[in-house]
Amino acid sequence: MKTETDCKILCAHVSKEFIQKSSQRVNVIDDISLDVKSNEFVVILGPGQSGKSTLLRIIAGLELPTSGRVAIDGREISGPGPDRGLVFQSYMLFPWKTVMGNVELGPKLRGVGKKERREIAQHYIDLVGLNGFEKHYPHQLSGGMKQRVGIARAYANNPTVMLLDEPFGQLDAQTRYFMEKETARIWETDKRTVLFVTNNIDEAIYLGDRIVTLKGKLPGRLHDVYDVKLPRPREHTDMKFLELRQQITDASELVL
Amino acid sequence: MNSIANEVQAQIKERSPLSIWRFLKNRWFLHAVSTIAFFIIWDYVAFNRFLGSALARPYEVLLQLANMMVNPIAGKDLIGHIWASTQRILTGFAIGAVLATPLGLFMALNRYVNAIVKPVFDLIKPMPPIAWISIAILWFGIGEPSKIFIIVVGTFVPCLLNAYNGVRLIEPQLYDVVRMLGGNRRDEILHVCFPAAFPAIFAGLQISLSCAWTCVLAAELVSARSGLGFIILLGMTQSKPALIVGGMVVIAMVAWLTTLLVTGLEKVLCPWKREIQTA
Amino acid sequence: MAYEEVKIRTPLLLRVLPVASILAFFGVWQLIIYLEIIPTTMLASPSQVISIFVEKLSEPNPDGAVLWVHAWTSIQEAFTGYILALLVGIPLGLLMGWFSVAEGLARPIFEMIRPIPPIAWIPLTIFWFGIGISGKVFIIWLGGIVPCVINSFAGVRMTNPTLIQMARTYGATDWQIFTKLCVPSALPMVFGALQIALAYCWTTLVAAELLAADTGLGYLITMGRRLAMPDLVVLGMVMVGLTGAVIGVAIDWVEKRLLAGIRR
Repeated sequence: MKTETDCKILCAHVSKEFIQKSSQRVNVIDDISLDVKSNEFVVILGPGQSGKSTLLRIIAGLELPTSGRVAIDGREISGPGPDRGLVFQSYMLFPWKTVMGNVELGPKLRGVGKKERREIAQHYIDLVGLNGFEKHYPHQLSGGMKQRVGIARAYANNPTVMLLDEPFGQLDAQTRYFMEKETARIWETDKRTVLFVTNNIDEAIYLGDRIVTLKGKLPGRLHDVYDVKLPRPREHTDMKFLELRQQITDASELVL
Repeated sequence: MNSIANEVQAQIKERSPLSIWRFLKNRWFLHAVSTIAFFIIWDYVAFNRFLGSALARPYEVLLQLANMMVNPIAGKDLIGHIWASTQRILTGFAIGAVLATPLGLFMALNRYVNAIVKPVFDLIKPMPPIAWISIAILWFGIGEPSKIFIIVVGTFVPCLLNAYNGVRLIEPQLYDVVRMLGGNRRDEILHVCFPAAFPAIFAGLQISLSCAWTCVLAAELVSARSGLGFIILLGMTQSKPALIVGGMVVIAMVAWLTTLLVTGLEKVLCPWKREIQTA
Repeated sequence: MAYEEVKIRTPLLLRVLPVASILAFFGVWQLIIYLEIIPTTMLASPSQVISIFVEKLSEPNPDGAVLWVHAWTSIQEAFTGYILALLVGIPLGLLMGWFSVAEGLARPIFEMIRPIPPIAWIPLTIFWFGIGISGKVFIIWLGGIVPCVINSFAGVRMTNPTLIQMARTYGATDWQIFTKLCVPSALPMVFGALQIALAYCWTTLVAAELLAADTGLGYLITMGRRLAMPDLVVLGMVMVGLTGAVIGVAIDWVEKRLLAGIRR
C-alpha cells in the first residue's frame, strides 16, 4: 500500500454536501479519492456541474469536506494557506494594485522585506512573460495577461502545490491555445505539483501527465484515470493525441 | 456627447443635401441659440416689468455682484460670504464623514455591531436633515454650531450608507485570494475592504457634498448673519431682486466648482474605479 | 460552486440585538428627559411626543390646525409638485436623449438651473409668489425635475445601439424608434428617478415650509421652535420621516406592479 508521504496531495473519500436555504441537502461530490505525486501535472476533467471546482476549493482549504480527508505532504489541511497557490477562473486581481503590487502580495503578507519580495515578484513576472508591464493596472491588461498575473501571483508565494480552477475559461480560443502553451512552458521551467481543473479535453491532454475524469451532475463521482505518456511539447494533431482523445470521449459523457 | 439619433444616422443615411439644415441642427448652434434666447427673454421680461419689479435684468445682477465684491454687506464682501458658507460646509462635512465612514465600515464587517446600529439608523434615515433645523436651534441657539450640526446630520447618512454598501458588495472571492496567500482577517480588512470600498466611499462623499450645500443654505435661510443663504434672504427682505438672483448665480457657480473639484479628485485617486468589476 | 452553504439558524444573540437596540434607544431617550439630564425646553421624551400626538389629532392649538390638516397640506403640496415634475421632467429627459434638437435647445438652460439647489429658489419664489401654495409647488417642482430629466436622459442613451440599427433596417422613422424602442428601454431608469425625485421633493417641501408657510408639517416644526415646544418639533420631525417613508413604500409598490415581468 502506498504510504501517504509518497503523495503530495492525498484525497481520501472526500464528499461534500451543501445545505440550501430551504434546508435541502445537495450532494455535490461523492466519495472522491485521488492522489497526486510530487511535481506531477494532474488534470481534473469533467462536464459542467460535476463538482470539480468544489473539489478544488476543498483541496485549497476554502471549503471543508462533509466527509473524507485531504492531506498535503502527509499533513491534513484545515483551512486555506500559502502552501497551496490558487489561480481563479475570473482572475481576481486587485484592481487597485499594479501588476507588481498584485504579484508581490503573497510575500508581503508573509513579512518578506521589500527588496527581496520585489526580486521574487520580478522573477515570476518575467517567467510568465509580462516583463515591462509591472506598473500597469489590471484594467489595462487583456484577459490572457491578467491570468498570467494570477499565475505569477500564485507562484510568487512559493507554494508546494499549484491549483488552477478552469483558468482559461474566460478567454477566447486563440488566447486559450496560447495560454496552454505558456502554462506548459512555465511549468517545465519551474516545476511544481499541479492540479488543473478544466472541461476541455484538448486542454487536458495537452497539459496533463494524468487525467482524472469526473462524471455525473450533482453529485460528481470519480470516473476514470488516464495516464498521458506523450512526450512534450505535445501536438494537438498528433495521432496518439487524437487516439487518447477518442478514448476519453467514448468513455465519458463529454461531447467530443 | 452626440445624441444617439445623430450617431446612427451618420452611419446609415447619406449626407443631407441641404447644408443649411445641417447647420441648424448642429448641437453647438442650438446651444448658443438657446442660451442667447434665454438671456434675451429674461432681459425683455425684466425690462417690461411683466412680473412687476420682481425680476432684475441680467445686467443689473452683474452690477450687483461686482458691487458686492467691493462693498461689504453686513460686514463681509462677497468672498467673505462665500467663505462663510464654505467654511460651515467643510467643518460639518469633515465631522460627518469622519464619524460615519468608520461606522459604516464597522457595521459591514461585524454582524453584531450591525445588529445594534442598523435598526436605529433605519429609524433616523427617513427624516430629511432639514427637518432637524428647528431642534438644532433649540439645542445650540442660532449661532454656528447649529448650522454645523445640520450639515453633520446631512452628510452622515449618505457617507455611512455608502461605506456600508461599499464593503458589503465586495466580491467575496477577493477575500479567498488573501487567505490563499497566507493572510489573516486583519490582512483581509487592510488589503481588501479598505481599497475596495474606497470608490463607494468617495461616491458617498460626493452625495454628501451636494446634500451639505442644501443643508447649509437652509440653515442660513432660517437664521444667519453671513453666508450665501443670508445674501439671498437679504435680497428678499430688502426687496432687491438683483441681490437674490446674484446670490443664486454665485451659489450655482460655487456648487458647480466644488463638484468639479471632487470629481477631479476621484479621477486622480481612483483610476481603476470603473473597472472594478472586471479585474 | 453553484450552492452556498447557509447556516440554518442565525444565532439567538443576533436576532435579539436589533430589538434590544431599539428598546434601548427609546429607553435612554425617555430617561434623559425624565431624569432631567436634558431640560424639557430642549428635548421632549417619547412619552411627551406621543401625548402631544394624541392631543394634536383633535386639538388645533397652538399652531392653528389639527395634525391631519398639516399632514394633508404637506402631502398635497409635495404631490402636486412631484407629479408636475414627473409630467414635465420625464418627457423632457426622454426627448433630450433621442432628439438632438431637443437636447441642443434644452441643455444649456438645464445645465444653468441644475447646480442651484432648489432651496436657493425660496427667497425668489417668496418674492414672486408670496407665501402661498403656488410658490411652494413651484419650488418642489424645481426640486423634482432635475433627477427626472437626468435619469430619463440616461435611460434613453443606454438604449442598445444594435436594437436601434435593427429598427432602422426595418425602415422605422425617428419618432417610431423613439416611442417604440427608446422609451420602453428607458423605463427602469425612469422608475429609479421616481424614488429619487420623491426624496428630493419631500426634502424641498419641508425646507419651504420651514421658511414660508402657515400650515404643513414643516410649519409645525417651526412653530414648535418658536413656542419653545420641543414635543411639537419632534412630533413634526417624526411625522415628516414617517410620511416620507410611507409614500416611498407606496411608490415602490406601484413600481413593482407596473414593472412586473420587466427585468431591471
